[in-house]
Amino acid sequence: MFFNQIRTWVDSLSPDVLTRGLRVAVTVVLGLVLVRLLAVVTQRYIMKKSNRQRQMIVRKVISYSGFFLVLMAVLGELGVKLTALLGAAGIVGIAVGFASQTSVSNIISGLFLISEKPFAIGDVLRVGATTGIIQSIDLLSIKLRTFDNLFVRIPNEKILSSEVTNITRFPIRRMDIQFQIDYEQDLSHVHTILAAVASANPWSLDEPEPVIMFTEFKESGIEVMLGLWFAKSDFIDLKNSIMRDISARFAAEGVRFAHPRRMVSMTSPAVETPRRRARKAS
Amino acid sequence: MDKTGIAVWDPVEIPQKRCAMWRFPRRSIWVERIETEWHVLSLPEAGYEGDSFCRIVARSQKPPSSQWRHYLHRDSGTMQPSPVLPDKPVVMRPDRALTLLPGQSTIFFLELPVWFRLSTTGYRPAKVFEEPLSVLTRTWFGDPVTGELCWGLATRLHHSIESVDPAADRAVCPLMIENDSESDLEFQKICLHVENLSIFRGKRLWTNSLHAVFKGPDQATQMEIVHTPPGFEEGMVPVSSARTPSTGWNIRRTFGMLKYFTDF
Repeated sequence: MFFNQIRTWVDSLSPDVLTRGLRVAVTVVLGLVLVRLLAVVTQRYIMKKSNRQRQMIVRKVISYSGFFLVLMAVLGELGVKLTALLGAAGIVGIAVGFASQTSVSNIISGLFLISEKPFAIGDVLRVGATTGIIQSIDLLSIKLRTFDNLFVRIPNEKILSSEVTNITRFPIRRMDIQFQIDYEQDLSHVHTILAAVASANPWSLDEPEPVIMFTEFKESGIEVMLGLWFAKSDFIDLKNSIMRDISARFAAEGVRFAHPRRMVSMTSPAVETPRRRARKAS
Repeated sequence: MDKTGIAVWDPVEIPQKRCAMWRFPRRSIWVERIETEWHVLSLPEAGYEGDSFCRIVARSQKPPSSQWRHYLHRDSGTMQPSPVLPDKPVVMRPDRALTLLPGQSTIFFLELPVWFRLSTTGYRPAKVFEEPLSVLTRTWFGDPVTGELCWGLATRLHHSIESVDPAADRAVCPLMIENDSESDLEFQKICLHVENLSIFRGKRLWTNSLHAVFKGPDQATQMEIVHTPPGFEEGMVPVSSARTPSTGWNIRRTFGMLKYFTDF
């Protein structure tokens, strides 16, 4: 029944329309398959040694250009005058451009970011209060996955105009651990303990050497900074182990961390002297 | 027992439901076989500084631990332990800074700690596991941007092989240097790309000999690896091949000549 209806409808079409419809269908199917094939082959084989970011950009350029060409071919097949359409598109483009200044600004920022390459896919980035791993760098925005598995989209314009920290750009980093110790502690002894703790830690690099600094006399104690160099992938291992090691070693050696303290001195009530009595009376 | 304990690297037949124990200074390795499963444990032995040896012991003697690793392999019970060099370059810090004057040449015997690799034997030998026998520090060689992550080791620069104590857990690397330049060659740190070196077994363990002619800080000089066994003993046989076979590496990546090669 259904097939009969279709057949009747197809029979009612003129041969010209039928041929054109068939050509459009073939153009669409072949065109899309070819574009997809070209994008995949380029990414997997021709750009095999390029980084993921460049592969993604090339794949997108091929896909969007390919889809545009297929669309043009289909419109041409349907008899649409492309010259007029492109002229109209130019006028529409200007109007849309005025209306979407932010998007255009993002695209231009994206082009700057792509050419400047301050980061790549897989880097850990800190933008404002957000820290995460870069999932993709697109023309309009970059996408991050935070460490608590949230998806964050940051417009390229914001990236370009704000301070961005690429945490994993260099292979090694320094972790600075700051704490305060009691004023009564022997600083040389504390220095020796920290040097030993750093040297015994398996994640801390011995070259560049750890930095131990007594940075400031604070209200409740002396501020100490221990700076340890580590390979960027060892952040969590080092952080956990060094905090545990410092705490255990200080406890064993009797070194006390500083706590907020107030010294209150109690004095006896003022004695009433003849001079004080006379001053009060006057 | 031989003085070096080198027999510790002989193949071992582990019967069903028995344990093999390899004991090295500061480390013991336990392997238990149950049907097609191999249970492996590596334990630090802080107090042990004696000879290296291997024994088959009853299961009741195996140490209780939650660190046992389990592997599945249907091969026979014969296992092949082999010494292999560490997986990253080793930066050796000599106990004293030495300067090789222009026109002079010398040979050093460097002691490299080896890792323990256990493989199955038979038609398709397979690596079961690898374990460092000595604890090395992590260190960085070069500047913080382009340098490389290495293992660090404080060592003595031996001028003769007689002064190197034989040991089954260390391989000796003969390093021959010629200073064919007008400038001094300072040995503050030496970075050895041990992943390019093989190990040979004689009365002790040896690596390939290394040979370098230093032509000055601004000249490209290559560290050449001699692929035949070092000629300090007769009848040496290869026991493990290089992780990354190579003919040599650039000397710029070798010596820690601070004033020339780094910005520190």
